[in-house]
Amino acid sequence: MTPVLQVKELTKVYRVDTVETPALRGVSLEVHPGEFIALAGPSGSGKSTLLHLMGGLDKPTSGEVWLGGQRIDGLSKAQLSNLRLWNVGFVFQAYNLIPVLTALENAAFVLELRDEPREVRESKALQALETLGMKDLAHRRPNQLSGGQQQRVAVARALAARPKIILADEPTANLDSKTGLALIEHMRTLNREQGVTFVFSTHDPRLLERVDRIVRLEDGQIAA
Amino acid sequence: MFNLFSLSWRNIWRHRGRSLMTAGAVGLAVFFTLVYLSFLGAMENGIYNNLTASVGHLQVRVEGYREKREFRDLLIPNAAQVEARLATQTQASRVVALEIPALVAGETRSRGVLLIGDQRPPELRERFVKQSLVEGRLPEAGDLDSIALGASLARALKVRLGDAVYVYAPGTEGRGAGAYRLVGLLRFPDPAIEARSAYLALAAAQELAAPGSATRIELHFPFTRYSQDAQLDTVQPALAASLGPGLSLESWREASPAIAQIFNLLTPLVLIFAAIFFGLAGLLVVNTIYLGLLERTREFGVIVALGAGPGQVTRMVVLESLLLCSSGALVGGLLGLLTIAALSGGFSLEALYGEVGSVFGLPEKVYLSLRAWDIPITLAYTLLTGLLAAWWPARVAARLEPVEAMRFTA
Ligand SMILES: Nc1ncnc2c1ncn2[C@@H]1O[C@H](COP(=O)(O)OP(=O)(O)OP(=O)(O)O)[C@@H](O)[C@H]1O
Ligand SMILES: [Mg+2]
Repeated sequence: MTPVLQVKELTKVYRVDTVETPALRGVSLEVHPGEFIALAGPSGSGKSTLLHLMGGLDKPTSGEVWLGGQRIDGLSKAQLSNLRLWNVGFVFQAYNLIPVLTALENAAFVLELRDEPREVRESKALQALETLGMKDLAHRRPNQLSGGQQQRVAVARALAARPKIILADEPTANLDSKTGLALIEHMRTLNREQGVTFVFSTHDPRLLERVDRIVRLEDGQIAA
Repeated sequence: MFNLFSLSWRNIWRHRGRSLMTAGAVGLAVFFTLVYLSFLGAMENGIYNNLTASVGHLQVRVEGYREKREFRDLLIPNAAQVEARLATQTQASRVVALEIPALVAGETRSRGVLLIGDQRPPELRERFVKQSLVEGRLPEAGDLDSIALGASLARALKVRLGDAVYVYAPGTEGRGAGAYRLVGLLRFPDPAIEARSAYLALAAAQELAAPGSATRIELHFPFTRYSQDAQLDTVQPALAASLGPGLSLESWREASPAIAQIFNLLTPLVLIFAAIFFGLAGLLVVNTIYLGLLERTREFGVIVALGAGPGQVTRMVVLESLLLCSSGALVGGLLGLLTIAALSGGFSLEALYGEVGSVFGLPEKVYLSLRAWDIPITLAYTLLTGLLAAWWPARVAARLEPVEAMRFTA
């Protein structure tokens, strides 16, 4: 089976003034359709960096990134944003949602950027919210939602757009462990029932129990 | 459900006070621009009306009359025929006038004057009476024995209504001298003119100095100021062609070039002031939009990460700026229009420039009114302010790198 996402010998060096920080040092990884992968590793090990490169948010110093059979590490800024719009879902650690939009409108945001018709946006977003058990709170603004509810809306936003892959960078970091676990459960259910491919990062070991594949990063490299 | 439009609208009002102040500045610029433009329109209108009422829209004169000094060289012979020919070609009201440099005298004093023999249709005569007559009446058409004088001239000559007034016009082609009865006193805004004004019926003046002749024939059209340029442009050449040789047809612009020039200067001047207002308001808009962008850098980072392209991000910023400007413009514009409507009934400017103003042909009372281009011009300024103010913030936003933006801490 062809991987939905593949990185080969990926390196990333951050340069601040004259100081060089190697964040990734030769990472190779394949993600197959329907996989549910956790990126684990201590702080500073390169999890966020890897997720950013996989999702076309940033460009690697060297190495290759392939998404759905297309090499993306050399694409222009405009091409990358288009690629993200149509192929990649993102869930971030915090500040995910737009405060002036309701849960429903946030869930429909990517569809709006894609210029999909109003009814289509609304029904897809509502359905995604329902899947995450957020339908009743669809008309609340983010500041009227708990942290866990906000993250579920962020997952619903990614889900509504039906991307090839959803990348989540520490989606549970700001949640207590019970709420965090519930969020991962939601993602897991989506993965199992709808075949959505997930890669998420965490450093909470308890979240790793329900995962079928764990990739451990250490110092910018995959640990054996 | 939202769209980018309502998103921008909601984003503006996240900082209500700041946005209100900025929109208020734009609103003020719109308000002042509209009111100034309408004030200017009112002034121009007043000057135009004064001017065309006193000299007509078009004037028939002897060709090259400005260079001619001799009285006889200024005469239009057979004025009645020329007038009759004009009458077949235009509906305009006609005033026939014969201006004679003359000496008038009472029992004990004399003065040099510009004696005007004048024949005008009833509606123009009525207007003249209303504007200028302070006592008595004007000489009737065909009345060979009556004269009206400027009130200050009558005082200088020590004559009163009913007294005899003697006129000498030596070296002319008529009788050269005559005795008249003073029947009316006239007042003019310009004291110098009042001190040298004497009015006879046209027939009396012709008998005195130039039988059958006139020095000018005025044509008064029922044009409004806004339509007149286009209409005069078609009427003037046709009428000019029909005049015989030796005669010229001038528009009021050509007859009063200095005032026509003022018209051309005033509007650009107000537009420059308006540009300064809008420029200042625009700086506030830049500040507001840029601060909004800075405060929401992480949010923009997420939006870009989700796949918004540079074009979409630019559109969001520009929309915010345009909405901010137009909401201010809407309120300022409405207030401006209300003010103009309230003052369109006319108000006096005497207090501002006193009696002197009328000497320069400034209207005593102005009626605020908008010209065809005033609103489009104001809208264009608003639009331009919104676009220019958004330009730099939009560039910054379009260049945001998602990862950096999401890590941004203010
Ligand atoms: N924009 C940047 N500029 C400079 N250095 C950076 C930047 N982003 C990350 N780094 C450095 O690269 C290394 C990897 O960072 P990264 O954020 O990928 O780690 P992480 O595994 O996500 O850590 P955490 O668990 O704390 O989120 C770290 O040493 C970090 O300091
Ligand atoms: Mg991280």
